[in-house]
Amino acid sequence: MKGLILKKDNLVPLLRKIRKGGKLVAPVQNRHGDTLFEVIDDLDRQQLDLEHQAQSSLKPFFFPQNDPLATYNCAEDYSFEPVVSAEPTVYFGLRSCDLTAVLYMDVIFSQNGADTLYFARRKEAILISLGCNQPFAHCFCNNTGSGPFLEYGFDLQFTDLGDSFYVEADRARGEELLERWSYFFTPADEDDRKKQYQAVLEARSNFRRTVHVDPAVKRLAADPDLQPVWRELSDRCQDCGGCAYICPTCTCFTIVDQPLAETHGIRLRQWDSCTFSGFTRMAGGHNPVNHAEQAIRRRFLHKLKIDVEKHGRPSCVGCGRCVDICFGGVDMIRFIAMVNDLKLPAEEK
Amino acid sequence: MTMYLPQMAKIVKIIRENPQIKTFVLEFRDKEYNKSFSYEPGQFMMVSVPHCGEAPISFSSSSTRPGTIELSVRLAGKLTGAMHRLQPGAMVGLRGPYGIPFNMKELADQNLLFVAGGIGLAPLRGVINYCLDKGGYGRITLLYGSRSPDDIAFKTDIDLWRKNGVDCRLSVDTATEGWDGQVGVVTTLLSGLEIERPRSSLVCGPPIMIRFLLPELSRMGFRDREIITTMERHMKCGIGVCGHCHLDNRLVCVDGPVFDLAQLKELAVEELGELT
Ligand SMILES: Cc1cc2nc3c(=O)[nH]c(=O)nc-3n(C[C@H](O)[C@H](O)[C@H](O)COP(=O)(O)OP(=O)(O)OC[C@H]3O[C@@H](n4cnc5c(N)ncnc54)[C@H](O)[C@@H]3O)c2cc1C
Ligand code: SF4
Ligand code: FES
Repeated sequence: MKGLILKKDNLVPLLRKIRKGGKLVAPVQNRHGDTLFEVIDDLDRQQLDLEHQAQSSLKPFFFPQNDPLATYNCAEDYSFEPVVSAEPTVYFGLRSCDLTAVLYMDVIFSQNGADTLYFARRKEAILISLGCNQPFAHCFCNNTGSGPFLEYGFDLQFTDLGDSFYVEADRARGEELLERWSYFFTPADEDDRKKQYQAVLEARSNFRRTVHVDPAVKRLAADPDLQPVWRELSDRCQDCGGCAYICPTCTCFTIVDQPLAETHGIRLRQWDSCTFSGFTRMAGGHNPVNHAEQAIRRRFLHKLKIDVEKHGRPSCVGCGRCVDICFGGVDMIRFIAMVNDLKLPAEEK
Repeated sequence: MTMYLPQMAKIVKIIRENPQIKTFVLEFRDKEYNKSFSYEPGQFMMVSVPHCGEAPISFSSSSTRPGTIELSVRLAGKLTGAMHRLQPGAMVGLRGPYGIPFNMKELADQNLLFVAGGIGLAPLRGVINYCLDKGGYGRITLLYGSRSPDDIAFKTDIDLWRKNGVDCRLSVDTATEGWDGQVGVVTTLLSGLEIERPRSSLVCGPPIMIRFLLPELSRMGFRDREIITTMERHMKCGIGVCGHCHLDNRLVCVDGPVFDLAQLKELAVEELGELT
């Protein structure tokens, strides 16, 4: 489809309309200066922030940290009642990496049968991404094939052209939205298209870092046993799980019962992290994974090796969030650098 | 959610196998479901007990005896402890069956060597009964190691198997008075044993037993594909999503729990040490 133009002055009025028709989620800067995706209740009060990278991703909206799977009753009988909650929601202002992460979660949650809870929410979602003219400090999505702009996968993609947005649709739901609110948009002309193309080109040269993802992936495919790397990073890992929680593609979870009374409770799905020492611990305390040396092995191999084997691409989307969150430097960028710096056994002599 | 929703099942009978193990005979509350439910040897169920979440438990019964299913549970912690306190008539939740079963077609006509340690006999019990009921398998030999004579579980089954021509050999780590059988770890039962080809060995037990047993079996000339075992991992979802049961690049719940030695050699399995 042809591109459209949305004048920036029209953005908030458009979002107001969208919000009237359902839930709207967008990056908002709170009074502490943190930018987080939030449900928009009041566009006058909540400060839309399209300047900074949101510290959170969309993960919690589709896969909440505490997600009730069912309620259970065990008074006289024992029984479970499913819980499903989802409402039509437009997500505005997510970046290409976050959108790629949602597409990855789509794959994960459709293994062995579509996950009812996840897809209930996903089916109600319209994703409007905003390409990154100016990538943020730790971004490396150009090296993970997930940005700064996308060719497909979005319902709508916005490109900042200064005083307007260039808007393109990839999916039917995006096109429907454009039709519904067509009076906000004007057709893009040749000049707009050139500007958009220019913005995409410039964005690619605006990255402040080059992270050599492909060489690391190749290296791991050939030899995933990098004991010195695992040991050093495991040593610095403080078992906080921050990287897994903040990561838009970390989807490991646990299932727990939360009793509300003697007679009933909730069964919850909760975020978990493979870096936690309890992640693999079995009855009697036996742990098949030597935590001190291997705690973070799983995390990095999963993203850069196992998912490449399984799904054809690494599941790190280059958002750089784990760089900000880990004071121990146990992050993806550091890991990739360490892998690439390691001497191959043949080189050591 | 539906994929995580357990089916409710009633405990119709409880058999005490030894001080730590009870076998629960179960029937799904939904009659139709109970009738159409089917599973294969080596598979497992996720079991729910009120307020305790879920735990993976293997079938210790065989689908050749429909109507009820049996789960043999060793008292190991919170959920298994709560389950042990349940009485006949109580309900548990079950979802499954999950996991790759033993390839019973490929095992047909073969002489089968079963080696079990402790609760490891539970899943193998299902396999042995399957073989006996179906017929079409070669000679069956069972080596079963327990900690002490009091810990020997499934005694009724062992008597029945013996009557049906299964060569059952038992060992205990520590003897008590009156025990005149083999003393020592289960590997000691291997000495002098001859199993003719075509043959396979099915091994189930604690990691330490498997670790010592696999090389012994190799030394006896069992090929890698003829050595089949089950791997145990902490599990939460049972359907390959939660990530807990990772074993190198596999997930035990969907790629296992049954693996042969050829497969295991391709993986880095820490608890088994260097497999050569
Ligand atoms: C494929 C498979 C088949 C099994 N079959 C049997 C069987 O037939 N009979 C039997 O007695 N036991 C079996 N087990 C082991 C059984 O699942 C554990 O003993 C049980 O989960 C312990 O739970 P608990 O709450 O009593 O122990 P706790 O130690 O209180 O458990 C604490 C936590 O660790 C988790 N956990 C502990 N050990 C395991 C484990 N091995 N696997 C998964 N989660 C664990 C529990 O879910 C719980 O959240 C099997 C395990 C697997 C993986
Ligand atoms: S591993 Fe780090 S950089 Fe990669 S997607 Fe996760 S949080 Fe972002
Ligand atoms: S138990 Fe969840 S992935 Fe295997």
